[in-house]
Amino acid sequence: MKKALIGDIGRYAVHDGPGIRTIVFFKGCPLRCPWCHNPEFIADRPESAFFPDRCIGCGECRDLCPVAAVEVDKIAGINRSRCTGCGLCAGSCPTKALELVGRRYDVEELTNILLRDRLFYQTSGGGVTLSGGEPTAQLAFCGELLQRLHQQGIHTAMETNGFFAWDEFKTTCLPYLDLILFDVKIADRDRHRVVTGIGNEVILANLQKLLAVRADDVIARIPLIPGFTADNENITRLAALLKELMVRRCSLLPYHPYGLAKVEKIGGTQNNTLPQKPMNDRVLHEWQCFFTDFDIVEP
Amino acid sequence: MTKIALEDIRLKDFTLENLSRLQELRRLSFARKPEICIERARYITRYLRDKDDPTDSPEVRQAKKVNYFLQRKRSVFHDHNLLAGSTTSKALGAPLFPEFFALTLWPELDTVSTRAKNPQKLTPDEARELNLEIFPFWMENNVLELTRKRIGNGKSAECLKLFESLVFFIAAKAGCISHAVPAYEVMLEIGLSGLIGMAARRETVALAHASEEGNRQADFYRAVQISLQGIVQYAEHLAEEAATLADVADDPEVRQEFLDMAKVCQQVPAGPTTNFREAVNAIWICQVGIHAENINMAMSPGRLDKLLYPYYKRDMEAGRLDISRAMELIGCLWLKIADNVTMVPEASEEMFGGAGTVPAITLGGVDADGEDAVNDLTYIMLRVTELLRIRDPNVNARYDYEKNSKEYCRRVSEVILNTKAVPAFFNDRANISALTGQGESLEHARDYAVIGCVELASSGRDYPASSSIMLNLAAPLEMALFQGKRPITGEEQIGPATPDPASLKSFEEFWEVFKTQLDWLIEKAIDLNEQMGAVHQQMMPSPLLSAFFEGPMDKGKDLIQGGSLYNSSGATHIAFADVVDSLNAIEQTVFIDKKYRFAELLQMVKADFAGAEGEKMRLYLKNRAPKYGTEHPLARKNARNIVGHLFNLYQSHTNYRGGPYRPAYWTMTNHAGLGGITGALPNGRKSGEFFASGITPVSGAAPELTACLNAVAELGGECVPGCWALNIKYSPEADVEKMTERFAQTIEAYFRAGGQQVQFNIMTYEMLLDAKKHPEKYPELMVRVSGYSAYFKDLNELMKDELITRTMYDLANGRAVAYPPEKGGK
Repeated sequence: MKKALIGDIGRYAVHDGPGIRTIVFFKGCPLRCPWCHNPEFIADRPESAFFPDRCIGCGECRDLCPVAAVEVDKIAGINRSRCTGCGLCAGSCPTKALELVGRRYDVEELTNILLRDRLFYQTSGGGVTLSGGEPTAQLAFCGELLQRLHQQGIHTAMETNGFFAWDEFKTTCLPYLDLILFDVKIADRDRHRVVTGIGNEVILANLQKLLAVRADDVIARIPLIPGFTADNENITRLAALLKELMVRRCSLLPYHPYGLAKVEKIGGTQNNTLPQKPMNDRVLHEWQCFFTDFDIVEP
Repeated sequence: MTKIALEDIRLKDFTLENLSRLQELRRLSFARKPEICIERARYITRYLRDKDDPTDSPEVRQAKKVNYFLQRKRSVFHDHNLLAGSTTSKALGAPLFPEFFALTLWPELDTVSTRAKNPQKLTPDEARELNLEIFPFWMENNVLELTRKRIGNGKSAECLKLFESLVFFIAAKAGCISHAVPAYEVMLEIGLSGLIGMAARRETVALAHASEEGNRQADFYRAVQISLQGIVQYAEHLAEEAATLADVADDPEVRQEFLDMAKVCQQVPAGPTTNFREAVNAIWICQVGIHAENINMAMSPGRLDKLLYPYYKRDMEAGRLDISRAMELIGCLWLKIADNVTMVPEASEEMFGGAGTVPAITLGGVDADGEDAVNDLTYIMLRVTELLRIRDPNVNARYDYEKNSKEYCRRVSEVILNTKAVPAFFNDRANISALTGQGESLEHARDYAVIGCVELASSGRDYPASSSIMLNLAAPLEMALFQGKRPITGEEQIGPATPDPASLKSFEEFWEVFKTQLDWLIEKAIDLNEQMGAVHQQMMPSPLLSAFFEGPMDKGKDLIQGGSLYNSSGATHIAFADVVDSLNAIEQTVFIDKKYRFAELLQMVKADFAGAEGEKMRLYLKNRAPKYGTEHPLARKNARNIVGHLFNLYQSHTNYRGGPYRPAYWTMTNHAGLGGITGALPNGRKSGEFFASGITPVSGAAPELTACLNAVAELGGECVPGCWALNIKYSPEADVEKMTERFAQTIEAYFRAGGQQVQFNIMTYEMLLDAKKHPEKYPELMVRVSGYSAYFKDLNELMKDELITRTMYDLANGRAVAYPPEKGGK
């Protein structure tokens, strides 16, 4: 079995499925949503993240870098075009100002880590959630992992952007998944392509197929992103679409500027059209009212 | 299984507003300033000086001394508490026990009333009496001096010297044994007269043997009678005084209160208990009696919910009692238990400042049959604890996740969130197996109660002297690093001259060197404890306390002679996490990664990581070496190895009472105090910084809550029979109900993984920083230290900093929140 590239493992998560859970953040995603919460998990290769406030400018990283991608002027800086993501700098940094995002795990090692918290899952009705990045971008590994977890009686969930090969997903993952958190972002096909880099045809087709077989175990999730998804037209169309597809469970994800600060740590630039503040509760409430004739919206 | 009759286990309709007596008493408890009470010191000194019969056995001598004091002890009623009796003559008194460290007050007689930090008031007349009459008598006669005399120039002299340097271990017997949970069932059933009668019959039988052993036993039985008679007389005096006060009272309500108290004291504790109120007051008067004999340190009343329930139930069913009155009586008992503090000389403020006397009360758990023991009184006591929010008594909740209800676990969790600190949680499964591992029967182990901070004892069967040794684990580590010397003691050769670590080929070799120093130091600490135990046997037997134990009456032997069913000695350890992390750092960076040479590391440690290169190394060690409190296999191995090694080492020693030594991991405030006088360590801790508390990972070293709890829990059970204190800090959340749910689930998982104990502070870095800066804004802020509660304002600066910087976890994501608090935060 091939190893998977994992961005992070988040234990004691309480917002991504029932109970206390461990989240596996797969690294690599085919979409390029500007508001991404986890921009450090988009690229499908390891990257060095840099936290300037921790740097003491000691130069250890510069001295070790095999491709001279690090310069130190009071604090370190990484030349991203040279960096190969080898991680030598992060391994030697005394203050964790440099951390390597992305490590390869084999399925056994990862399963063992996930089982360490099984007592917490047991006492809270929790389990494991595969997230990312996009877990289905490493579909075969996901299937193997989910199967192992299921054999151990662990509740499993997956957060997906829906862009995957249905047949393979259906046979390798679906039988071992208890819950699927399925993102639905933009109703219009062309706009979806412009904003995320990929059209929504496959995504919506997958959602329809999934609902046909496991409607009760699917929660459709709409991220409310000002300027991208949270506008009258898009939300109205999505609401109608979900109704048509007979979605039984749905939740709205209010905007949060989590991703903005993180994007710079991996050498990217912030999208300056996105707000710096989380969505106001009252604004969220307004959007929820759009769904009042649905009794399927979950808090 | 007990049926819960309460309609609302949260008792939310009962508040301080409608329990006005408790509200007023609570207000007084915060307003009162501690005063030194010399009453006991005065009377025992007079007895020994004027009346002592040197031919008496140690037990009889002790009993007569205690009896003499109890007969003369003033009956005082300071407020409208419904219970008669008080530990001292003052409203909030610090009693003096000249047998122990009271003489440390001698140079401070003029300043103790007015010192800046935690003053204790002493009247000029009483200061004069101490100076001229009392203290001179004890100069040669306190435990420490008698130990010195006993040891002379013998081989134990070295041990005494180590202790007196204060940087290796504390031989706590110089200050107390106390630390016990008596059993009051028999006293409640047949009264002290019944117990006296039992002892008298035993005495007759023992004398009939006409043997040396029989005579010794008879002496013990006589001592029991004499000392219990002292309590009976004290109770009679209370009854008389209450009757007198009733006579002069104008307010009919007050008059009736005194008449009721007089009636109670005429009945108990001399006679059998007939109702709930008598039971509560009888227990309290016996606690006062125990304090006439034993110093006020962790004399723990134990499982009061279980003990008092039959009396509560009968009165409730007969309509003689209602919930409100029961809460009032329990609240009065809680406040009475808090009527005394320890006398702390200025020199000890650093080590023990802010500590209460830590009388522990234990709630819930299972009964002798292993079934749910939670009852209505458990919930009443929880509610009283939630409302009063006072430092003492130290309330602890036992929890058996298979037998106790989820509602109970949630309710305890809710009380912790509301008080932000109490009670502490104890895992029945792990602790019962820890005690059965010590050879206690299953029934006895199931009846365990908490002593003082966290220590375990089968109620009234186990005399564990649980605070015998407090050992600084960083001392042997330093000696291992520096060939038997320590930076703080300079060039003096302290421990064995082990090889220079720079010459070692493997981590295993260093581990052996560390164990050589550790074992050497522990042998010294045990040696001194044995010497002091022998002094206690001569000078401080406990015939009064023995009367409330199983064993002494059957064996005809005082507790101090091994009269109890179980007779262990406890040794607790300071700097556990810092030492594990230091071993991890050495193993990983020197021997595995070969990043540093050992000599280089030693040089930097010795120089306290001075200079830019030193700081770089320190940061690397601190941030990059494997940490206890994470899943790192190397860290887990080293933690297990220390715990396992200490267990085997202590268990192989038998104490002067015939029982084994039990290791434990709680630190009171010593992790701050001893940290302050210990050099830099290989885990990147700088010289003089505090250690982590109890068994808690080093602050900032355990970023994930579940990994932290797993790492601690896997050490639990048989190898930690003295139990541990794990401190966890959570940031409070707005949604208390949701937080309670997760809180309870998290505790259950930690217990299922084997965790023995956990205690909480529900507060943020910011709030504690503010409390340090503006103490006047937080007069009642109560925090968990390591096994007990304290008022934040009373703690010394180092201890405050330790509390502030303890890792804070966010229960909404299980991650440690970075310290210092970032502006804006995440």
